[in-house]
Amino acid sequence: MTTHSLSAGALHADRIAKSFGGLKVFHDVSFTVPAGGLLGVIGPNGAGKTTMINIFSGRLGLTSGQVMLGGTRIDGRSTFEIAMMGLVRSFQHTAIFNGHSVETNLLSALRFSRRDRSVLERLSPLLDQFGLIDNWQRNAEVMPYGLQKMLGLTMALATQPNMLLLDEPAAGLEKSERANIDTYVKFAREEFGCGILLVEHDMEIIKRLCPSVIVLDGGRLIAEGPPTDVLSQPHVINAYLGGSDEEDSDVTH
Amino acid sequence: MNNRVPKSLPAEIRPSLFSGHDWIALAIVCLTFVIPFTSTNPQVLSQTNLILIAATAALGVYIMQRLDLMSFAVPSFMAIGGYTVALLSMKLQLTDVFVLAAAAFLMPALCAIPLGALILRLKGVYFVLVTFVLTEIVQLLLFEAGPITGGSNGLVGMPAVKIFGMELWDNPHVLLTTCGLAFVSFIVTSVFTRWFRSEFAAIETNDVLAESLGLAAWKYKAMAFSVAAGVSGLAGFALVNMLLTAHPSSFAPMSSVNYITYTIVGGKASILGTLIGALLLVSATDYFALSGEMSPGLFGLLIIVVTMVARGGVVGVVSGLLYRLAGQSPPLKNGEQDLGVNGEKGQ
Repeated sequence: MTTHSLSAGALHADRIAKSFGGLKVFHDVSFTVPAGGLLGVIGPNGAGKTTMINIFSGRLGLTSGQVMLGGTRIDGRSTFEIAMMGLVRSFQHTAIFNGHSVETNLLSALRFSRRDRSVLERLSPLLDQFGLIDNWQRNAEVMPYGLQKMLGLTMALATQPNMLLLDEPAAGLEKSERANIDTYVKFAREEFGCGILLVEHDMEIIKRLCPSVIVLDGGRLIAEGPPTDVLSQPHVINAYLGGSDEEDSDVTH
Repeated sequence: MNNRVPKSLPAEIRPSLFSGHDWIALAIVCLTFVIPFTSTNPQVLSQTNLILIAATAALGVYIMQRLDLMSFAVPSFMAIGGYTVALLSMKLQLTDVFVLAAAAFLMPALCAIPLGALILRLKGVYFVLVTFVLTEIVQLLLFEAGPITGGSNGLVGMPAVKIFGMELWDNPHVLLTTCGLAFVSFIVTSVFTRWFRSEFAAIETNDVLAESLGLAAWKYKAMAFSVAAGVSGLAGFALVNMLLTAHPSSFAPMSSVNYITYTIVGGKASILGTLIGALLLVSATDYFALSGEMSPGLFGLLIIVVTMVARGGVVGVVSGLLYRLAGQSPPLKNGEQDLGVNGEKGQ
């Protein structure tokens, strides 16, 4: 991977490894999310997916390797610095400012990322479809879980990121609400030109949205390619169903 | 996207800089300027002095509460402010009230910057412990650094401060100085906490989310710690000016519990709560002192009862009752009104 090919805002993980004491969460993992591209990340619980997002977003440091955003190395930088460089994350659970209205939550996202209200105008079709305009002045804390989740995701998009890290955006949503994730991802890519790293357990969403996925298991990247191909590979199926002895031996103590 | 006509965004409602509670608190502090000119009763003058000093000191707790941090460091910064004033007036004969006020604010504020870099990474009980230990260390330094601080004797015999060359030496004038320092402290605290209310509210509520959206939380924490120290320093100035002595016992570590109590009992959501808490509890201390050895117990009982009955503090409960009487729901954290689904009131 050359610096030239990364200069347009691609996210590149180069042989990254993370250990907590003697526990290796993952090691020697490399992949690239092209600028404006979409890459799915799947893997069983404990595969290190959220840890990876925490590293990319500056919450955790790397043990070895490097993470590049465009031509700039971002690992080791603070969370807010990385966010200001255009790489913004969402959270598995609802992440909003409790006790404040929907409007204040969104205006806070604009203020912290130094964007103006015109971004909200661009987001208004999405806000309308998710039902957030109907709840504009409502205390966000008392809204249903699904609305809180979509508010959190919309706040991330209101920062106008170049690259979004979505950590299980469909987790906790009812089946009928999951179509909102499709709308969100398409809107982010088409309207804002965002690249997206999508960590998700819902394979239907992965198949619908992602042209390409990587599979993490036991801290290693065990497969990559189009979802339908990857999900039919026996070692990927074993990783999910626990049928392989490799899974336990991969997490080295 | 479906084919129905999309709804447009509601118009933005810009909240005013000061809330109603801020205005009321500032008006009450303003009204105290009348007392030095209308009363010669030493009890009234002394009591007003004590209440204003207590309220000003408690603002240091209030500012740190914006970040969900419970600070026990107020007496430390009061001591730095108070001793700075005592040293400047006694050693350098600097007695101009404006110069001394600037020094009393700036010295603790500057000291807070390196201290903040060390301790603002901590949260919850760890922050509480470290700020309490800091107060103990400052107390020890006041006793041990005798050549500068006067040790256990303190710095006695401060000259009266001057304003435009006029000495502020008698009781009404001392109260006037305290009123001025309290007013400046309330203005600084109001403007500072309201100007950055979005940032502080975000850090208090969910600092991880705030940082992930691009907010440099450390910067706002450092600013808050520094301004809280400066305001505490002004309270220290008012205290040594009232006593004409800077003594370690005036800045005892346990006094930090009082300042926290004023803030919590009054209501930590606004500066009005800090003022009302100081007004009620300083008055209660004075009243219960008449009962001799029973006073600490009665004072403690009052704190327990008020804290248990009034979760939002006295101001929170009174505001809640007034909103209920008016048939409205209480405002959200930034003073916004919860208008419910489709803007219907009273959720």
